[in-house]
Amino acid sequence: MSPWRSILLVAARDFRERVTSRAFQLSTGITILFVVALIVVPAIFVDDDLPEWEIGVVGTEPDGFATAVAAASGNAAVINTVGFSTRTEAEAALESNDIDIAIDDAGKILIDNDTSDQMQAAVLTAVATIEIAARADELGIEVTEIADLFTGGYEVESVAPVDEGDNDENRVFAFFVTVVLFMSIVTYGSWILIGVIEEKTNRVVEVVLGTLRPHQLLAGKVLGIGVLGIAQVLAIGIIAMSLLPIQDAFDIPSAAGSVLAWAFVWYILGFGFYAVAYAAAGSLVSRQEEAQNAAFPLTMMLMAAYFIASFSITGENPVLRVASLLPMFAPMTMPLRIAGGDAVPVEIGVSLLLMIATTYALIRFAGRVYAGGLLQGAGRVKWREAFRASDT
Amino acid sequence: MLEIDRLHKTYGDVVALDGCSFNVARGQLLGFLGPNGSGKTTTMRSVFSLVRPDSGTVRWNGGDITPETRLRFGYMPEQRGLYPRMKVAAQLAYFGRLHGMSKSEAVAAAGDWLERLGLADRADSRLEQLSHGNQQRIQLAAALIHDPDLLILDEPFSGLDPLGVEDMMAVLVERAERGAAVVFSSHQLDLVEDLCEDVVIIAAGKVVLAGPIRELRARSTHRYLDLELATDRADLHRAFPEYEVVSSDDGRLRLRLDDDTPLEPLIHSAAQLGRVRQFSYTPPNLSEVFREVVEQ
Repeated sequence: MSPWRSILLVAARDFRERVTSRAFQLSTGITILFVVALIVVPAIFVDDDLPEWEIGVVGTEPDGFATAVAAASGNAAVINTVGFSTRTEAEAALESNDIDIAIDDAGKILIDNDTSDQMQAAVLTAVATIEIAARADELGIEVTEIADLFTGGYEVESVAPVDEGDNDENRVFAFFVTVVLFMSIVTYGSWILIGVIEEKTNRVVEVVLGTLRPHQLLAGKVLGIGVLGIAQVLAIGIIAMSLLPIQDAFDIPSAAGSVLAWAFVWYILGFGFYAVAYAAAGSLVSRQEEAQNAAFPLTMMLMAAYFIASFSITGENPVLRVASLLPMFAPMTMPLRIAGGDAVPVEIGVSLLLMIATTYALIRFAGRVYAGGLLQGAGRVKWREAFRASDT
Repeated sequence: MLEIDRLHKTYGDVVALDGCSFNVARGQLLGFLGPNGSGKTTTMRSVFSLVRPDSGTVRWNGGDITPETRLRFGYMPEQRGLYPRMKVAAQLAYFGRLHGMSKSEAVAAAGDWLERLGLADRADSRLEQLSHGNQQRIQLAAALIHDPDLLILDEPFSGLDPLGVEDMMAVLVERAERGAAVVFSSHQLDLVEDLCEDVVIIAAGKVVLAGPIRELRARSTHRYLDLELATDRADLHRAFPEYEVVSSDDGRLRLRLDDDTPLEPLIHSAAQLGRVRQFSYTPPNLSEVFREVVEQ
């Protein structure tokens, strides 16, 4: 039987047993409800309608006036125009706040103390645009040529290499993925920790290890629980993303394609590394009560990685640079550097290699410790003793 | 055939195995005996590479044991345990698949075993919902699901009620008859004596006695004399001061003798004690053989 078949069998069992458990279904349901509530509830209460501008027009309204004002405001307002036959009527309406601003037929824009600068500027731009278009038309100039009149026909062209996007925005996106990674590891790391100890507490471990190697058992558990965790994150993420548009106040961080791809790669690698590390921690103990103690150093490492990332969101620094090469910190720090365009390919390559090699070494190490710990009997095992006790 | 060949294993200063060697042929049912800490579990674990011996080898059919050959072995460790929340049929099928069975084979075998154990209606129950006795039967089924060529059971009778013991004995005999090599350890020596023809006894990590029980008993340099009188005598235990008294009560006396002790004087003396109901002269039983070799 191929090693992969054993690993997949273990993974499938762990996946199936959890996904069909009441506890998992309940916690997934509650999390999704919580996320939905978090997005939908504020959207109900936040008033996201555009402000309405009431604009008085004395005499005939110039062609396309309302549209021009809306365009000049950056489409930040809904424009309503109100016709008046005399300027006096318009002034009265302005005074009683029935309108916000007015134009008369003698080239005046009427305002009062309540008129905003933005509104004033938009109206001024609108009338100017209409006037320019009208005069240009008289001169036989096409509307499309008008823009050239303001630039002399020149346009700016950059010869700098094409930038993949805004670095700051990319960093924000990378950090967002780091936060998701952090939360995933904290949640599913403890699942894996407990899952690994499960066989020992159920005492089923000797039967299972009679058929496969300890590192295969561990790899299977990491895979099964890990895939389940990532599936849960994806499900929650997809639901959240599809609901976010109903809430205008929150922008989904966007990023260039390569930044997105790298963030995904590092998410998977980081999740894999920490999942295996939690499995290794679990292999050292035999009882669930000791699980959190065994995982304490990992939690500290994770916190450190998170803090380095959060303090480096503004840009490159020496601590970030060193951290991005070390496997325990790289998944949370390297994506930031890649997003900021600060990492050179050699650094990325070295970091990737170290990451993958360490993850593999860790699962072999954990397998040995796991088997050794089992045969040493109950209680917490010093890893050196466990390591020596077995060489499978 | 399973060959255990000169296994040595030490844990720090503790010698667990000190040249342990024996063979088990297919179709043979072998009792593997020894006091606590004599190395039985370490030997059994060596077969499954759960322990890597410092030296010595374990072979199956003349070749090294690989992960593939190991799939044809079945193991019931002393530390019992399965997945408490997993459904019974799915659990058995899982162990079948771990032993290399295809999904359909494993599911079919799990169904057969549940049928055989009379637990077919509990297929979708979680293991923890079964009684203790039924959980033990599922444990045995998990070790047998793939119809192993070699079956190793560490203390299979511990914790079983008399009915469970009978069931277990029947299964072990049946497996051996169907051609599997079966090795089990036990401290219940009377049971071992009933169940199997051959035993291996180890002490301090090495085999001190091995062979058919009948031969081992005959080969002993001791014999036991059992005397029963029609009426009890208070001084019965002092009637044969030159011999070792094993037990004495209610008109019955058991003496231990060297195997070359002439019997005639004893018969004569016994006749003078009163009316003799029983006078028998036998080799030691398995428990006594065990005690003799282990206490040396």
